[in-house]
Amino acid sequence: MILHILNRAPGTSLVYREALAGMGPEDRLLLIEDGVNGALPSQVRHFEPVSNRLFALREDLASRGLVGRCDETVQVVDIDGFVELTEEADKTVSWF
Amino acid sequence: MRYALLVQGAPYSQQASHSALRFARAVVTRGHTLDSVFFYHDGVYNAARLAAPPQDEPHLPDAWSELHEQYATALLVCIASALRRGLLDEREAARHGKMGHSLKSPFELTGLGQLIDLGQRCDRLVTFSP
Amino acid sequence: MDRHAAPRGDLLVILRHPPHGTSWLRDGLDAALVAAAFGQTVSLLFQGDGLLALLDGQGRGALGQKGTAATLEMLSLYDIDALFADTEALARLELRADELMLPVVPVDTTRIAAMLASHRQVLVF
Repeated sequence: MILHILNRAPGTSLVYREALAGMGPEDRLLLIEDGVNGALPSQVRHFEPVSNRLFALREDLASRGLVGRCDETVQVVDIDGFVELTEEADKTVSWF
Repeated sequence: MRYALLVQGAPYSQQASHSALRFARAVVTRGHTLDSVFFYHDGVYNAARLAAPPQDEPHLPDAWSELHEQYATALLVCIASALRRGLLDEREAARHGKMGHSLKSPFELTGLGQLIDLGQRCDRLVTFSP
Repeated sequence: MDRHAAPRGDLLVILRHPPHGTSWLRDGLDAALVAAAFGQTVSLLFQGDGLLALLDGQGRGALGQKGTAATLEMLSLYDIDALFADTEALARLELRADELMLPVVPVDTTRIAAMLASHRQVLVF
């Protein structure tokens, strides 16, 4: 299982498509930095193929005022959870 | 587990360096070894000796240095990326006939081979790009 | 060899940026060359506008900035011959694999995940 890390929002960059194409059936996707904008209910449809494996970093949501606006299908993790996700994965791939 | 980070974003222009520092601290807090941080591309500016951010902002070069002091994390700066961008240690400054130096220990100039070595040696290599 | 098996290797370098505008392409190629010089098995995947790195007729910038075409020509000297191109990018840019400066194997987008899984390390540039 690979942890994919995405720091771009679907509204400003199409790199999310390549991240999704690179994801195997067990892989997980973590949204960080501007990537967390993708966790908004209006944006989250872009990640529909991996909706049960979609995570977002709490502190990046919080600094942007998005914690309460995050779609309920997105699993929110703190920085400790970020490290835990990397422990559970065989490797990580960062898309930007 | 043994971790290494690859940092490619310029400090203060992009969030990558802040994200990497947050992650680095969480890695050691969870009891892992943070072997090295490799700075590549614009990430090399994290090593700027003369960086003087306002007092109410995080001082990234100092924060990395503290990480080195506390956890012996190596701070490896790609020499090819650094020299182009004016980041020279004392030795390189002398070699290029420059008056001052802009990078000092615990940051160390090194080759890309170190990054490849980290990829082989460490259990996890996590990249933070701009 | 099963031509449908995903290529394996130590390092997969994914190149998503075109030449000249940024140094991502050059930095990615440098990482690939150094890994190969260290004896690693390296594969390159050209995705998105990264494919434009493979067009013929590239040159230096107006101020003499180095491009990447010369570096690409050196790949074979480093035994990097596992070169792949995302078919989706080929289609979007209306390019054919056989008109590129190096021989690349088109990879269907649905097979890219397997490619990532079968390399020990993946770096995206």
